[in-house]
Amino acid sequence: MLNSTLCTLLGIRYPVLQGGMAWVADAPLAAAVSNAGGLGIIAAMNSNGEQLRAEIRRARGLTDQPFGVNIMLMSPFAAEVAKVVVEEKVPVVTTGAGNPSPYMKEWLAAGIHVIPVVPSTALARMVEKRGACAVIAEGCESGGHVGELTTMALVPQVADAVKIPVIAAGGIADGRGMAAAFMLGAVGVQMGTRFLVAEECTIHQNYKDKVLAAKDIDTVVTGKRLGHPVRTLKNAMSRRFTEAEYDSSLSNEEIEKMGAGALRRAAREGDTENGSLMCGQIAGLVHEAMSCRAIIEEVCGDAEKLLKGAGSWVK
Amino acid sequence: MKEKLIKLIADYKGVAVEEIASDKTFGDLGLDSLDIAELVMQIEDETGVEIEVSPELNTIDKLAAYISERQ
Repeated sequence: MLNSTLCTLLGIRYPVLQGGMAWVADAPLAAAVSNAGGLGIIAAMNSNGEQLRAEIRRARGLTDQPFGVNIMLMSPFAAEVAKVVVEEKVPVVTTGAGNPSPYMKEWLAAGIHVIPVVPSTALARMVEKRGACAVIAEGCESGGHVGELTTMALVPQVADAVKIPVIAAGGIADGRGMAAAFMLGAVGVQMGTRFLVAEECTIHQNYKDKVLAAKDIDTVVTGKRLGHPVRTLKNAMSRRFTEAEYDSSLSNEEIEKMGAGALRRAAREGDTENGSLMCGQIAGLVHEAMSCRAIIEEVCGDAEKLLKGAGSWVK
Repeated sequence: MKEKLIKLIADYKGVAVEEIASDKTFGDLGLDSLDIAELVMQIEDETGVEIEVSPELNTIDKLAAYISERQ
């Protein structure tokens, strides 16, 4: 059994978080991860307060284990959903795409464990000072919104910058990744891509098939020109988007419009050509659809074996 | 305080202080949210004032007034 302070902190069995992926991380997926002993996370994405409340209550019907909500700070409804997590007494809030400081006092007063996703040491230090109980250091190998640093470079630097526990994310999908993350100073991992193809994940089968078939070089980052780069699988949509970014006759607003609704088209309608298939670089080693329980037990079991055997490297 | 912040941001960006206008927004100065986090932590370490980052606190003038009121 892995021994991690994160389990005690969050009341979970395995130090594994499921990423708060928009249009993917719904109540059934989050509940399945929590029931398997990890921490499932519902993505608030661009939902309004009442939509999120309904999803939280749906998860409560499916699990009695702790779960979290991921709040995307760029959402037009961020302030609204920030209140709903307090009213619904959600035990854990993770945040992405920005600085959560303006909301943290209210969450902490409500006894919520706040765990921001941080792409830099300065933001990690800032949220630690404001009361975060842990941080997720996410490298740019991950799918969806990405920063500049890789997991290998970011995790140890964040671990040195803060005293609170660090959770590693980006490029982790098996026991090797988890064991490596522990060596870098993390006490837990967050996985997204591996759970994309979980049996309990409700996204369209076409999307899952593309992830399962993906090779190491099949993802690309688009959106740099707009200031919010996103990693997806390469397809017609990503090619059109990249061309548009290099076309100086197009305005940023026009390019922004091209991306509107693209993730929903992929995740819910199964449009793998015109949809945005957010996916991490590690998809190349995700070959099999498994239950959340099997995924978590395999990843943690393999990490445990590797960590136990780590002494063989030393004479 | 204003001069101190101008110098800090000029140094951070590697440009001359004359190029940093204190009434321009941080966005117009070419600073993104990660740059702001970096600068805020530096300023907090130096002044001891905790800065509540908000969309309204978006120019050097406003930030200087904010810090001076709390020092």
